[in-house]
Amino acid sequence: MRNRDLIQYLTYGGVCLIILLLPVFVQDAFLLNKSARYLVLGILAVSLSLSWGYTGILNLGQATAFGLGSYCMAMALKLRTIPIHTGAEGLPDFMVWNNVEKLPWFWEPFYSMPFAIVAGIAVPVLIAAGLGWFMFRGRVTGVYVAIITLAFLVVVNLLFIDQQRFTGGFNGITDLAQLDLLGFTFDAYGASSYYLIAICLTFCLFFALLVTKSKAGLILQAIRDHENRVRYFGYDVARYKIFAVSVSAAIAGVAGMLYTIVMEFASPTFMGVQLSLSVVIWCAVGGRQSLLGSMLGAILVAGMQGALSESETFLDTWTLVMGLVFVLVVLFLPKGLAGAAETLMGRLFRTSGHPSKTAATTQGEAPARPAASRPT
Amino acid sequence: MEIMSLVVTGLSIASILLLVALGLAIIYGVTGVINLAHGELVMIGAYCAWAMQSFFGLGLLASLPLIFLATALLGWIIDRVVIRHLYDRPLDTILATWGIGVMAQQAVRLLAGGELRYVEMPEAMNHPVSLLGVEIPIFRIFILGLAVALFAFTWYLIFRTTLGLKLRAITQSREIASCFGVNSNRIYGLTFAYGAGLAGLAGAVVSPLKSVAPEMGTTYVVDAFMVVVLGGVESLIGSVASAFIIGQSSSAVAFYANDTIAKALVLLFIVILIRFRPQGLFAAKVRS
Amino acid sequence: MNGAKHLTLDNVTVSFNGFLAVDNLSLTVGEGELRCLIGPNGAGKTTTLDVICGKTRAESGEIKLGPTLLNDLEEHEIARIGIGRKFQVPSVFRQLTVRENLSVAHSRRPGVIRNALQIRRGEASEGLDKLAELVGLENQLETMAGHLSHGQTQWLEIALLLAQDPKLILMDEPTAGMTVQETHKTAQLFNRLKGNRTLIVVEHDMGFVKEIAEMISVMHQGKLLAEGTVEEIERHPAVREAYLGSGGISHA
Repeated sequence: MRNRDLIQYLTYGGVCLIILLLPVFVQDAFLLNKSARYLVLGILAVSLSLSWGYTGILNLGQATAFGLGSYCMAMALKLRTIPIHTGAEGLPDFMVWNNVEKLPWFWEPFYSMPFAIVAGIAVPVLIAAGLGWFMFRGRVTGVYVAIITLAFLVVVNLLFIDQQRFTGGFNGITDLAQLDLLGFTFDAYGASSYYLIAICLTFCLFFALLVTKSKAGLILQAIRDHENRVRYFGYDVARYKIFAVSVSAAIAGVAGMLYTIVMEFASPTFMGVQLSLSVVIWCAVGGRQSLLGSMLGAILVAGMQGALSESETFLDTWTLVMGLVFVLVVLFLPKGLAGAAETLMGRLFRTSGHPSKTAATTQGEAPARPAASRPT
Repeated sequence: MEIMSLVVTGLSIASILLLVALGLAIIYGVTGVINLAHGELVMIGAYCAWAMQSFFGLGLLASLPLIFLATALLGWIIDRVVIRHLYDRPLDTILATWGIGVMAQQAVRLLAGGELRYVEMPEAMNHPVSLLGVEIPIFRIFILGLAVALFAFTWYLIFRTTLGLKLRAITQSREIASCFGVNSNRIYGLTFAYGAGLAGLAGAVVSPLKSVAPEMGTTYVVDAFMVVVLGGVESLIGSVASAFIIGQSSSAVAFYANDTIAKALVLLFIVILIRFRPQGLFAAKVRS
Repeated sequence: MNGAKHLTLDNVTVSFNGFLAVDNLSLTVGEGELRCLIGPNGAGKTTTLDVICGKTRAESGEIKLGPTLLNDLEEHEIARIGIGRKFQVPSVFRQLTVRENLSVAHSRRPGVIRNALQIRRGEASEGLDKLAELVGLENQLETMAGHLSHGQTQWLEIALLLAQDPKLILMDEPTAGMTVQETHKTAQLFNRLKGNRTLIVVEHDMGFVKEIAEMISVMHQGKLLAEGTVEEIERHPAVREAYLGSGGISHA
């Protein structure tokens, strides 16, 4: 028991170490930047794993938190670019093009980088907790949660595109300054950004891991298994679920901020359906019940996609193939690659003579439809 | 009269919503399957209309029956090949159908290209006519009429035919219905086909109003689910009522702000409603 | 057993779209008592348990634990007041180990933030290990609950209830699917539990009921048919009529 935990910590630590040491072997700026991007997406996958794999909340709109975080950082970095005005006050270029006279009040605080960083976490958390409050207090079940989070994402996406005077619209917020923090300047194509992201990844991964190791993490898993039973032990299930999506949103927000740094812009695609779907696929393929599995799933799949994304047609075919792979994984490998690996390990090191279940174990999810009334 | 204009626009939006949502409501209500590929089925219907027009010179009205059959067949295949493995895993059906939707979108993109396509409105219906004192193209009235007709037909099918009786039996309890000799697999397949066909029809009929693009499905599936969530599952009347409510409020809000704000407010309303009445507006009271 | 009233149901009615599952039921259970609730299928026994623990809402009437009114409380609030429930259908956490199941059930401190800061391992392990021993699962502590046999699952459920440590325990058919020895062992366990705790047991196995019962309440068609000791109930004419054809309840 203690051994299993130890092995887990060592594995997680080992992977993070490898990630941190990459710049020793890879010096090419372009490659470093690409790798950094995949790491950020890995953090995003970890956040979904926490709410979906551990708590059973299928958030199809995980990109909302990610996008909000990225815009917070983008706003701060935009305000730091020197030639940002072509008029009276120092206004970002897209605002000038949209005939905005004065910096909107909600942009003002982003002159402060500490505020932006806090906002990049707080805003996604508040929004996720708020939406969660409405859904979970209303005892909305998993299936409806999926639909509503998806709808929420679509609406937020549309709003950001629509309100282009404040958000840069379709193009997003571009031409950003480089992040200047604690004496370091983070160049998107430099080792500094890579290290920043790798360190944040290590932190987020272990933070999430510790949450799952806590008693609250255990209760989240119990909720995933049998939500109603948990109530009768005295736990306020809605509160725990709100907690889960909040922590999840916080991690996604951090990832979003890092993504702005490494991509050098923020765009509505960061809060788009395509990205949200991709996160779900990464977690499904990598194994959503494993933080590390989800992270590696993201890095692997996004990495492959990046490596093969030469032509437009290839990209479309790739997406088609990914869709197919996804359907197959859902049908036949519900615990993803991590689950398959675990089953394999279980078979190889069989202990106390109990047979390991195949990866096709499903969670007892009751259908959302009300059943006919039956007296006993 | 401005109010009349709002009302009529609202009716038009409502009828489109109902058309798109009806197929989804039926599939979800009967089989419990969340079909996230529903939007793509609408999209495919639209593309079929375009293809019929561009390659076969077939007018919209003439191609409707063919489009219904084509998308119905597609729906049936999806059910038989993928969905039937997942009847007891509702969250996984969401994922699987989402994956299928992605595949469909990409396939269309590869085959027909990603540019916007345009479908012509039937000549005869392109003229405006006066409804309740408001000028509106005949085509929109056609859509309204079609929505009502399809709803009535569906209602009749479910509540007045033997097939519909079997459908309702399965909805209540699949196992017990099987004991009475109802072949639930076949019925599920037919239900899926019918719902998919309706989606295709909706897509085809709506295509002249907006341009046709591979990603048009997503907003439609979200809209459709909003209708179903608000109206309450297993209530056809609920779907009509909520389509009407959403249509009218969208129209009203869009008048003062714009479409996006309208959508946002509708969603906000639904989220708040769910907190206090999770079963939607029209669900029957049953023991949980 | 002292005579203080612990649980009172006062003219409670539960209806499902017009069907009266529980019909004007009044019931009083004293502190430390072991009450058996029996009756034919459809009598409303499980619904009665449901309405006490909050799974179902009463349409009318009052349910009180001591002085506290339970009607409008949520399930987890009722649980925190000290009511625990074992359900008819096995409901352990199948993907968690036995030890983890017990840890979840040990819900003395149910708050989110507190539990977020609490590392699992250290907490109350000794007590939970002893519980596992009590129900014969000490060798299965690291086994996933989904891998246990049916009898073992029933035991685990009982252990979970003990870990929760409620003052009032509601048991719904605890011996379903158990062997004769297991049933006997369960009876012994229950006899030890009463006095410190109040138990309400819904059962069909009359042999088991006779082994543990002090007072029996018989339900029929949602109403309380009769109440008394085992002997009184066996002789009761209305009970014989309700169980017509089975020769009364003496045939276990």
